[in-house]
Amino acid sequence: MRLGVPALVLTLLSGAALAHGPTPQKVDQSIVIKAKPDAVWKVVGDFAGIGAWHPDVARSEGSGGSGSGGRRKVTLKAGGSLDEGLDEMNAAGRTYSYRLSDPDLKALPVSSYSATLTVSPEGDGSRVEWLGRFYRGDTGNEPPEDLSDEAGRTAMNRYFADGLKGLKAKIEGNAGP
Amino acid sequence: MTGTPVIGRFVLAALLVGLGLALGPSPGAAAARTVYVASQGAGTLVALARDATAAGTPLAVGRSPAQVVAGPEGRLYLAHPDTGTVTVVDGAGGSIRQTFSVPGQPFGIAASPDGVHLYVGDWAGHRVMRLSARTGAVEGTVAVGREPAGLVLDRDGILYVADRESRQVSVVDTRTMTRTATISVGQGPFALALNPAQDRLYIANVRSGDVSVIDTVARRVVATFTVGGMPYGVAVSPDGRQIFVTDQRAGHLVVLDADDGALRATVPVGRYPEGVVITGHQAYVANWFSDSVSVIDLRSLRETARIAVPDGPRSLAILTEDER
Repeated sequence: MRLGVPALVLTLLSGAALAHGPTPQKVDQSIVIKAKPDAVWKVVGDFAGIGAWHPDVARSEGSGGSGSGGRRKVTLKAGGSLDEGLDEMNAAGRTYSYRLSDPDLKALPVSSYSATLTVSPEGDGSRVEWLGRFYRGDTGNEPPEDLSDEAGRTAMNRYFADGLKGLKAKIEGNAGP
Repeated sequence: MTGTPVIGRFVLAALLVGLGLALGPSPGAAAARTVYVASQGAGTLVALARDATAAGTPLAVGRSPAQVVAGPEGRLYLAHPDTGTVTVVDGAGGSIRQTFSVPGQPFGIAASPDGVHLYVGDWAGHRVMRLSARTGAVEGTVAVGREPAGLVLDRDGILYVADRESRQVSVVDTRTMTRTATISVGQGPFALALNPAQDRLYIANVRSGDVSVIDTVARRVVATFTVGGMPYGVAVSPDGRQIFVTDQRAGHLVVLDADDGALRATVPVGRYPEGVVITGHQAYVANWFSDSVSVIDLRSLRETARIAVPDGPRSLAILTEDER
């Protein structure tokens, strides 16, 4: 068993560099917008209307209403589409939660996610927080690099960050000087 | 495999020397019960001594531990689906005793009360393996449904498995390693918990947002309690009268009457709460997204403390003093 010792130590100490296994990953982005929460919610609270503010989105089609159970099909400019369903719409709390129905690895290299978007007051303006939990594109123990945890984290954080920047630009641009 | 414990100590020694790590409550702390928290993102196990407001120093246990379970003699067992390993930890001593290489993606884990066997679900292999708790050798396997998630073992050696993608619970007789029944439950069954009398099994269904109640004698669902959101963890009070369910979507611990499912309380906790355990008059909830553990007083049904832990806590286990 003496030969096993260095291998075992290596396994334990080198883990952070590897990308294996079905471990849920976090995506967490937020932005401050110079507008009242109600004004921000008026734009972002329309679940199917993401195409109006997300710069990566070519178009979005809603179905099934804007309450819990409502759906949107989001087609991305870079290709692929996201079929998402609303789990909960809470307009009074300015928050909604939704999840991906079926993965489309062309759109985002993830196999599933749930996410929550919340608008809350911050100073004279608002903070929008968009966070979620996802699994990488290939949940086997030997995923290719483009379907790894790291690839999923990069893509999800970029998609959420791009969206919030677009939302800010749309609202603050519309609000005028 | 007789050399494995030596390797385990060697590995820990390497970690201690290299990283300056130690585990467990501070020396001299007379904790009757200690809650241990496994963090999947950080790859650590931390101890929360009774009434502690901060976690102990993390022990590096290897990558991505998904679930942790307590065994006898102060042992803790962790399943690592990413690396195909099971880690055996001496809780009180704060050391890794052994690391077993296990086939497939070990996820759910249960330990026999005598500490002889481990039962490990293979997430991608749709089976449960029985391992020697001493050597890690596979002693037998039994096919279950797709994506076995939580496992719970009763005092008579009956193992219940939440088959997440098959919407069922598999019932396994561990003496023969045969599946003796399957019971249809809600959508996305993930976690399960027995009441103290062991005549009721509660299953948290992630996708249908409810809890299935199984009569373990009749082996059928006798009630379905609506929770809403995404129930990811479940525990039963020591008197069997209340059940505690984490709702990952809302960030709540939902307290239900065990008889009729009536809502007793909705306690806000951290974001994406998952595992929940009960000890004495407290519930402990692992807040996966918030990297914290919420402590809830069972009498007031309020959060009394929120303790920071390393990245991605999902699972908790309790060691009591007479086991240590």
